Amino acid sequence: MIVLIGKLKKGEKGRILHISNTDLLVRRRLLDLGITEGSEVCLKCVMPFGGPVMVESCGQCIGIRRKEAIQIEVEKL
Amino acid sequence: MDIALIGNPNTGKTSLFNNLTGSYEYVGNWSGVTVEKKIGIFKNNKDRLIDLPGIYTLNPLSKDEGVVTQFLLTEKVDKMLNILDASQIERNLYLTIQLLEYGKPTIIGLNMMDVASKRGIHVDPVKLSQTLGIPVAPVVARTGKGCTDLAATITEGGIPTPNASLVHYGTEIEEAIGKLAELLEGKQNYSVRWLALQLFEGNQYVKQYLYSVIGEERLNLFLQQIKNTINTNYQTSLELFIFQKRKAKIDWIIADSAIKRNLTKTPLSEKIDAIVTNKILGLPIFFLLMYLMFMLTFDWLGFPLSDYLDRLITGPIASGIESLLSYVGASDFIHALILDGIVAGVGGVLVFVPQIFILFFFISLLEDSGYMARVALVMDRLMEAVGLNGKAFIPMMIGFGCNVPGIMAARTIETPKERLLTILLTPLMSCSARLPIYALFVGAFFVQQKALIVLSIYVLGIAVALILAKVFSTTILKGETSLFVIELPPYRLPQFRALWRSTWDKGKGFIKKAGTFIFAGSVFIWLLSYAGPSGMNVALDDSYLAVIGGFIAPLFEPIGFNSWQAGASLITGFLAKEAIISTMNIIYFVPDEASLQGLLSNYFTPLSAYSFMIFILLYIPCLATTATIYKETGSKRWTVFSIGYALIIAYILSFVIYQGGKLLGLV
Ligand SMILES: Nc1nc2c(ncn2[C@@H]2O[C@H](COP(=O)(O)OP(=O)(O)O)[C@@H](O)[C@H]2O)c(=O)[nH]1
Ligand SMILES: [Mg+2]
Repeated sequence: MIVLIGKLKKGEKGRILHISNTDLLVRRRLLDLGITEGSEVCLKCVMPFGGPVMVESCGQCIGIRRKEAIQIEVEKL
Repeated sequence: MDIALIGNPNTGKTSLFNNLTGSYEYVGNWSGVTVEKKIGIFKNNKDRLIDLPGIYTLNPLSKDEGVVTQFLLTEKVDKMLNILDASQIERNLYLTIQLLEYGKPTIIGLNMMDVASKRGIHVDPVKLSQTLGIPVAPVVARTGKGCTDLAATITEGGIPTPNASLVHYGTEIEEAIGKLAELLEGKQNYSVRWLALQLFEGNQYVKQYLYSVIGEERLNLFLQQIKNTINTNYQTSLELFIFQKRKAKIDWIIADSAIKRNLTKTPLSEKIDAIVTNKILGLPIFFLLMYLMFMLTFDWLGFPLSDYLDRLITGPIASGIESLLSYVGASDFIHALILDGIVAGVGGVLVFVPQIFILFFFISLLEDSGYMARVALVMDRLMEAVGLNGKAFIPMMIGFGCNVPGIMAARTIETPKERLLTILLTPLMSCSARLPIYALFVGAFFVQQKALIVLSIYVLGIAVALILAKVFSTTILKGETSLFVIELPPYRLPQFRALWRSTWDKGKGFIKKAGTFIFAGSVFIWLLSYAGPSGMNVALDDSYLAVIGGFIAPLFEPIGFNSWQAGASLITGFLAKEAIISTMNIIYFVPDEASLQGLLSNYFTPLSAYSFMIFILLYIPCLATTATIYKETGSKRWTVFSIGYALIIAYILSFVIYQGGKLLGLV
């Protein structure tokens, strides 16, 4: 099933299919951290009031904003 | 020999640096602790080691990352020490590949082996060394294990120049590199392969450098050609193409030298995060921690300790000095200078050392545990609403200790607009040098609600900063989208030794300042209070200090403290905030803090005292902070602005509080 990271539930995992809709700088930074198409991610927590989300990938945790997270398409695992 | 220490953020570079050079630099568990290069001498007293900010790639996004590229392009490096985090080996190797292309002898320090093995990752240093063709030394930077071997390997020479062509980028790119080599023939000394690949990746620093060597037009033409070729042949961008080539190589290296087992156990970090970054509990936990830190500093622990020290200094120490002076038969002038000037001025500041150390201890604890990055995550929503991002909260928290490192920490903020905004607003965070003033005044006027009143001042500082962030970001600093991607490092149990080092390192600045700057200032202020237009040893009200203070004092009438004493201390406060306390101690010379507090009630009412504290919170960044703002923004205009807006806001707020309070009948 294809969903957006921002729409995953806490603890759910997915593999990134499509990331090119996000802001260029954000994409660059995620790439620096080794997160790109094909990476496996897991949604760890969600901040209230539309705040950022925490995502885990290859053992490292990263915070990104919700508006970015809903631009990243993943295939649910 | 100059050896550069390079690696990803938060991999233990500075810890290793401290171990290898025996010095102490700032270590913390979040990305962006080191924001400029630091030079240390190896224990052999010959070679120099250069600690640099952490980077993920040589193609920089933020200012602190740019420091590294700039360094590689302008300074002489003989060897490189690349530190890898074994638990994040894939990501770390990406940088290694770029460094090998730079073509200098390189050695790898494989760190965080303990963390890696807990995650079920085992990296074989021998195999890694064979595949990369360079020495690999396993170390534990935190404890110093393996560091002597590493130091020996790197300083003793005999490190082979690495194979810069570890990754083969395909015929198109390899040909383009050859072409660039022809263009650059004999014009410069850096590795052409490295320059070419950095250019292809979009590294602006390298591009500028190449412009200066072969001219803008020729370079752009060359770059466009290779971009087009890759686009048509592979339907992908040049940057991504390079990334994929490297990634494939890394996968191959890892398959060869690292073993991964999947552990089903959830790491402790994730369990802690389930609580502290919980949707509902996250913010309350942060506020609770702040409250605890605050109460310990001001009420439960810090206050009694400072009180004790005050009694010690004004009692036995002062009388000891006095009898010593009488014993050696010092003149009245010397007597007065030492007791009324130096002991009052410097002692009055030193009294607050316990409180300042407690505060610094907590800040170090936040930094070293890994919680700091979580604070940024938790606060991001609020910061976004005012046109900043969560990362800007880290400089502000550090600013509670001292504004100078706070402003420096803003370098890690990627977008220039947000960085400038953070630099401008960090001085509003109440630094530790302002703490003595509050302690003095609440002791005199608000004995019952001490901690509450001080808390209100700190909160006001934050509130004003957030409101101004909103105002500035919608008026003078409009535009530019903000960027927020933050790495959340695993929690690490802070070691007592490291914590103490880091607390001491921050706190010693305060003591040093008391011994130098405040010392000299106290002598000077005392002289100004001793001499006057009509001669020496005049009554205080006829002294030069009274003349100077009296000159600006009427300005403060509307905000509640029209006295030359207040005026004079505010002027000295620009030099250093704690000078305000020294000045007051000298002006109202009294034997101890308690009687000073008694005396203050002749000059202030509770309302005007509160107004005075608010004014001091906001009115001006101190001299050192102003210099840092200038250095970091590189702009006289913004520096002047940071002083100007602070004065205006301080005046307006104090005015509202004082006049409003009067209207409400609070005098
Ligand atoms: N567990 C573990 N922690 C380490 C090791 N080396 C450094 N650290 C911790 O990692 C954090 C980052 O260290 P620092 O030297 O500031 O890294 P830098 O950002 O690369 O300069 C600190 O909290 C260190 O105490 C290690 O070998 N093992
Ligand atoms: Mg560092």
